[in-house]
Amino acid sequence: MSAKKSKAPAKKQAAAKASAGSAKMSRSASQRIHALSRMGGDFCEDTEKLQGVLNTIKDTAAPLPVRMTALQTMLSASFSAPNFNACRPDFLATLRSVAADKNMQIRERVLGILSREQDGFAQQVLMEGLQDPAKALLPPEKALQLLSYDIHADAYPLARKIVQNPPNEAAKREALRLLAADAGSAPMFEKLLKNKKEAVDVRQLSAAALNSLAPEKLQQHARKIVLDKSEGDQLKATSLTAITHFADEAAMAKDNALYKGVDKLRTAHSSPALKRVSKQFLAKYSR
Amino acid sequence: MAINLLINGSADPKARYVTWAPSPCSIELAAGPGVASPQAVTLRNKPPASGGVVVFYSKPGAAASNTLALTLTPGTPVSFLVGGKFGKPSVADGDVAIQVMSGTQVLAEMPLMVRIRKNANTLSAGERDRFVSALAQLNNKGAGRYADFRNIHDEDGLPEAHGAPGFLPWHRAFTLDLERQLQAFDSSVTLPYWRFDQKAPALFTADFFGTSDQLGTVHFGPTNPLQFWVTDGIPGIKRRPLFNVATAAANNVFTEAQTLALGNQFADFRDLEDNPHGYAHTSFGGSISSVPTAVKDPLFFLLHANVDRLWAKWQKKLGRFDPSVAASFDSTKPPGGNRIGHNLPDTMWPWNGVTGGVRPPTAPGGPMPDSPSVSAPGARPRVEDLLDYRGAIVAGSRLAFDYDDVPFA
Repeated sequence: MSAKKSKAPAKKQAAAKASAGSAKMSRSASQRIHALSRMGGDFCEDTEKLQGVLNTIKDTAAPLPVRMTALQTMLSASFSAPNFNACRPDFLATLRSVAADKNMQIRERVLGILSREQDGFAQQVLMEGLQDPAKALLPPEKALQLLSYDIHADAYPLARKIVQNPPNEAAKREALRLLAADAGSAPMFEKLLKNKKEAVDVRQLSAAALNSLAPEKLQQHARKIVLDKSEGDQLKATSLTAITHFADEAAMAKDNALYKGVDKLRTAHSSPALKRVSKQFLAKYSR
Repeated sequence: MAINLLINGSADPKARYVTWAPSPCSIELAAGPGVASPQAVTLRNKPPASGGVVVFYSKPGAAASNTLALTLTPGTPVSFLVGGKFGKPSVADGDVAIQVMSGTQVLAEMPLMVRIRKNANTLSAGERDRFVSALAQLNNKGAGRYADFRNIHDEDGLPEAHGAPGFLPWHRAFTLDLERQLQAFDSSVTLPYWRFDQKAPALFTADFFGTSDQLGTVHFGPTNPLQFWVTDGIPGIKRRPLFNVATAAANNVFTEAQTLALGNQFADFRDLEDNPHGYAHTSFGGSISSVPTAVKDPLFFLLHANVDRLWAKWQKKLGRFDPSVAASFDSTKPPGGNRIGHNLPDTMWPWNGVTGGVRPPTAPGGPMPDSPSVSAPGARPRVEDLLDYRGAIVAGSRLAFDYDDVPFA
């Protein structure tokens, strides 16, 4: 850790106010938020101040904005505090202790932080909630999203089950996003992309997944979609964007049929988005 | 009449980019039959100026002027300098041209660009699309060089970059590395900055950095190549703003004025690492709000461009470019110095390739990429190489970037 020459007086006062904050409930919420956001990163080295912030996170009687700012103060310190690793165990323990908080925003924030830390406890409670909705701390779509920070193989079967029988459309989409990291799901995304009866955003999501899992497959399907008069402009625009930015340039330079097809899209009654990406494609592969 | 005009001392078209800081240039009249000697010429901007505008300097330290009169002798190069006219950056590649005039006759013309980092909220559609396209190509559906940036800024690399005086120089190098990689795809691109102390409705749109739903899943328009963004094998970006991106600044962040008032000594100013820097990161849920995942969201680089802009503004305000001036960097050190990587002469990881011991176990990404227009900071930059980014102390220290609201003069 480096020594610092001086401390701004305002910062010292702020730290003192914030550390006293959780004890003095008469202090207004805005004052406490103001003090918390001016503590600086080095409060982690002061046990009393650190406990003050952690207690504020746990304090269910404190106003929500104050608790959320206390969480922000700790997270901010994780970016800047020289010795944050020393207080990390206390921070993570505090987060676990409020993972089942009565307030949904706190639960979302806390389980999000823990998931990004690849915390085993968080992964377990999220999985349990998906398997047994009565135990769920978060809606299934949020749980699926958080699980995708550190995907374990046992999440894939669960996600596939949710795609087949989704509790809601958002959960289906988040399950698909999670499966976009699974090489074994490429055929499913290919099928979804080809299915004209599927929702456009699901087909777009499938295109993104395929671009990562099987890029050559996406390019084949994207080309077909662009040239298919029965496809809508939105999916055509997504497909042409994939071609313009990620196709094999040498192959594209020789593909006169595609070039002519795109040239028609630029001049026909296409949506502004499709016209725009058509112009980009034609400029890149101008003959 | 053949005239050889070199920008940044180079004939390479990729070197024809200038910032506010003057770039060394030269002009030479080729010897040949019928060539008058000496030949009086005037350098000027090609009218009408549709984008960028340049100014001329007869020598280092001279006043800027809109035109420059020179006398050329065949076979003898004449040196001068060119910089962007503050407030008149380019909006497209080659949208400014230097004309070499003899009376009313145009003897030669050289297109170039006043390439400046701008507020992301004010980019033109063309600037936005070129930036997004280069970024998507760098990511290349998860298989591109962006993965190196992702791997550099993780828990192992944390002590190299945070919680000590090297925070600002290290991140200046990190953002410069990314910008140079983007410029390898499109030379006209610069890294825009996100002013987190202001609302930025034009940044958080489907055509630019995406719109977040209630879950924090980011959605892009059908023409935006960022819809194919992948990190760690996982497509998409998770970002849940905890503030109204259309109407408000990030939560609890210091304003620019508050940040610049943190102190006149670097040791005080670097408190910005906590607020506004840390508070800008944590004004969101999602990847950007946690150290291990922050770089998964490319907004990371726009946030850090703004942190760097604040440092640049502070440097300009107080003249803190000289590493030998104590107030320009932490002058008070604990016994034995700051930890490695945070002292002025230290080389910085990962560009130095040093691994093991007190350094991280791997050094992803390799050395700092070259620039066609400048030689600094070198392949293995030291902390001190990042302070004089515009060559205010040593002309050869220029790093070839500038900000739209930080003048040179």
